[in-house]
Amino acid sequence: MRSYAAQRAALALVQLAVLSVLVFVLTALLPGDAAEMRFTETLTPERISRMRTQLGLDQPALERFGHWFGNVLTGDLGTSLISGGPVADIIRHSVGATLVLTLATLAVVVPLAVVLGIVMGTRENGRLDRAITSVTLALSAIPDFVIAVLLVAVFSLKLGWLPATWVGGDLLASPALLILPVAVLFGRTVCLLSRQVRAGTISALQAEYVVQARRLGVPRRQLLLRHVLPNAAVPGVQELARTGDTLLGGVLVVEAIFAIPGFATALVDGVETRDVPVVQGLTLVLAVAALVINLAADLVCNRLVPRTELLR
Amino acid sequence: MNPVVQVIRLAATAGESILVDNVCFDVWPGQVTALVGASGSGKTTSALALLGEHGNGVRLGGTVEVDGQVVVDRNGPTSAAAGVKGRVVAYMPQHPGSALNPARRIGATLRELERLHHPTENVVVEALRAAQLPSDPKTLKRFPHQFSGGQRQRIAMAQALTCRPKVLVLDEPSTGLDSITRLQLVSELEGLADGGLGILLLSHDLDLVRALASQVVVLSAGQVIDSGGPEVLAVAPELAPAGTTAAGKPLLKAMSLSASLRPRGRDPILHGVDLAVRPGHCIGIVGRSGSGKTTLARCVAGLHERYTGRLLLDDQSLPVLRKRSLEQNRRIQYVWQEVRGSFDERRPVDQQVARTAQRLRGLRHTEADAEAVATLARLGVSAITAGRPPSRLSGGELQRAALARAVLAHPDVLICDEITTALDDHGTALVVELLTELKDRGTALVWIGHDLGLVAAVSDHVLVIEAGRVIEQGPPATVMTEPKHDLTRRLVRAARIGHRPPDSPPVLTSSNDTRSEPRR
Repeated sequence: MRSYAAQRAALALVQLAVLSVLVFVLTALLPGDAAEMRFTETLTPERISRMRTQLGLDQPALERFGHWFGNVLTGDLGTSLISGGPVADIIRHSVGATLVLTLATLAVVVPLAVVLGIVMGTRENGRLDRAITSVTLALSAIPDFVIAVLLVAVFSLKLGWLPATWVGGDLLASPALLILPVAVLFGRTVCLLSRQVRAGTISALQAEYVVQARRLGVPRRQLLLRHVLPNAAVPGVQELARTGDTLLGGVLVVEAIFAIPGFATALVDGVETRDVPVVQGLTLVLAVAALVINLAADLVCNRLVPRTELLR
Repeated sequence: MNPVVQVIRLAATAGESILVDNVCFDVWPGQVTALVGASGSGKTTSALALLGEHGNGVRLGGTVEVDGQVVVDRNGPTSAAAGVKGRVVAYMPQHPGSALNPARRIGATLRELERLHHPTENVVVEALRAAQLPSDPKTLKRFPHQFSGGQRQRIAMAQALTCRPKVLVLDEPSTGLDSITRLQLVSELEGLADGGLGILLLSHDLDLVRALASQVVVLSAGQVIDSGGPEVLAVAPELAPAGTTAAGKPLLKAMSLSASLRPRGRDPILHGVDLAVRPGHCIGIVGRSGSGKTTLARCVAGLHERYTGRLLLDDQSLPVLRKRSLEQNRRIQYVWQEVRGSFDERRPVDQQVARTAQRLRGLRHTEADAEAVATLARLGVSAITAGRPPSRLSGGELQRAALARAVLAHPDVLICDEITTALDDHGTALVVELLTELKDRGTALVWIGHDLGLVAAVSDHVLVIEAGRVIEQGPPATVMTEPKHDLTRRLVRAARIGHRPPDSPPVLTSSNDTRSEPRR
């Protein structure tokens, strides 16, 4: 276990190094730069070139990378070309909303998906299994924006029970703000996750070791919790990591509809204004988050079923 | 004294077909009852009825009484069946080593069973001692994958014993055991029986049955064809007389092959093994479980990548499997011991067997299918059986299908790693016959086994391996009659439990003079 963790962490470090290069190269490939975007109205070549010099955009790419990477290592993500404020501040302001949204969604989805997955898996192809499958599949098939618009129309406009946007709202004062966005994100994630737990449960139930435990007199409840679940959880944990990644980085539709000042919104703003340091900073944070989540998932899986060999 | 198990006119039917009919037997405390028969004869179906267990769509009838409780009556299993599981009847499956939960430390399951069945006593330590395993906390904290195959079987045994049952059902317990461990198994089971445990032994290992059973029931196609004392078993089959050896340049060579389990040579498992096989020859490799036999096979097959030394095929260096060409894949084929996982559960077995001929020899679909069916039939697996998905085949049938799958590649080197452990004598004879023919066609064989008797019968040259080193080698006749090393002497002795002829070491000859006939 310990040597696996060390190996896996070392791999994550290598991935991180490759990622930071990729982030820089990809953002450098974006067409246009901040200097052009800022002066679309009063564009003169002199102003642009002066601006470029000022922003350091005329330096060779390698030098810019060295400069940026060095700063990143010391925790300095640079300053926004547009607002002039530190990138770290922008991240700090936007990460809160996304993190709360992600955690709230997972807090609802994970227990439910595990229970649903086990219920379906133990009744493979039974009536309940088919019913839950149909409902969750249908939910995940409806596009986010459709659900969002429907929910807002019914619960905010018609019934007036729940707030439609975060604008002016304070999360701590009114947690009701979370209900609609979480409801929108719920459908797909609960479907994907419960499918994985279901599949894991079915294959664990058929495994020889579960059959043998049953033959030695282990009662059903104990069999499910101690013998089936640890094995069934493995695909679930892997799926959970993917879900976490997606929720952190890609809930743009939800942020846009509910006017949530989150990560995706900040990222799109940055791309639109060619605010390269902001895009780089946000992408890097997302990438690191994805690495950490997947590292954690792998370690959990290795603890659950400790036979995985990472590297040959 | 009353029997602890009474089975009277047991029947099992699946729709129209009759799996088991009119089977009667008893198990007495302190005695061993053996159910003997070919694979598919209904041994396991009959034994699982003691737990009230049956396959999907199977109906049980007759009467099964366990420890005074009726667990099966003419309407099928009764509600009493749940209560006998573990506590009264403990069942050990055919490959008990794979019936251990990979996600749980072995101590966790043992303690759980203790709490369930005997919460006030310390049965775990006792069970581990009876299964010849250490009971220190460090061992209990390990996961199943950290034990060798033989040790895993003993762990499964310890689990069964932790329930402290009155009846122990053992389904082919000698499968995959090296012959020394098999001797230990005999005395271990004798010890358990002496302690008052009733044992139901399901086996095709006639030597084992002879050594243990006081009652024998012979099953064929679901019916009892004979029952009584051990005398109902026929006399042991004779093996073929000695043959000649041929000359030729080595086809496969391994030079100072060393392998380890972890990177940079940590946990070494093979030390400087040399090996050479000529076309049409068979090299036999024997040793106890954990001696490195399988690792050697996996190195040659390209599956074990942590090795140093050289592997040559036709004097050309042989890379690891993922770097081998299609042709190299065809030329070297590997058949291993537990093959169930290597079959796709969703497709019929015959198609999967035919696939090698399509992929590696470029045969057309129809030709490959015909060849697959023919080869399987030669090995005693009928076309109807082979047309089913793998879950419907017995362990022995799948084992032969795996061999057929390898043979269809027309390999130049065929590695057989304990491929007869799941087979009865008849199945073994069919396998040996096919391999003899391959040898005559010039295929080089690497035959790995723990049973020196059989290895010597098949091979032209025998290597004895212990702790990753070749400790003795030579022609089988010499190794059998003049073993130099102490371990070899023990293997020779172990090969003769039961009543195999003690001298005249058997050597397989070319099929022109003698064929080993199906036995019994």
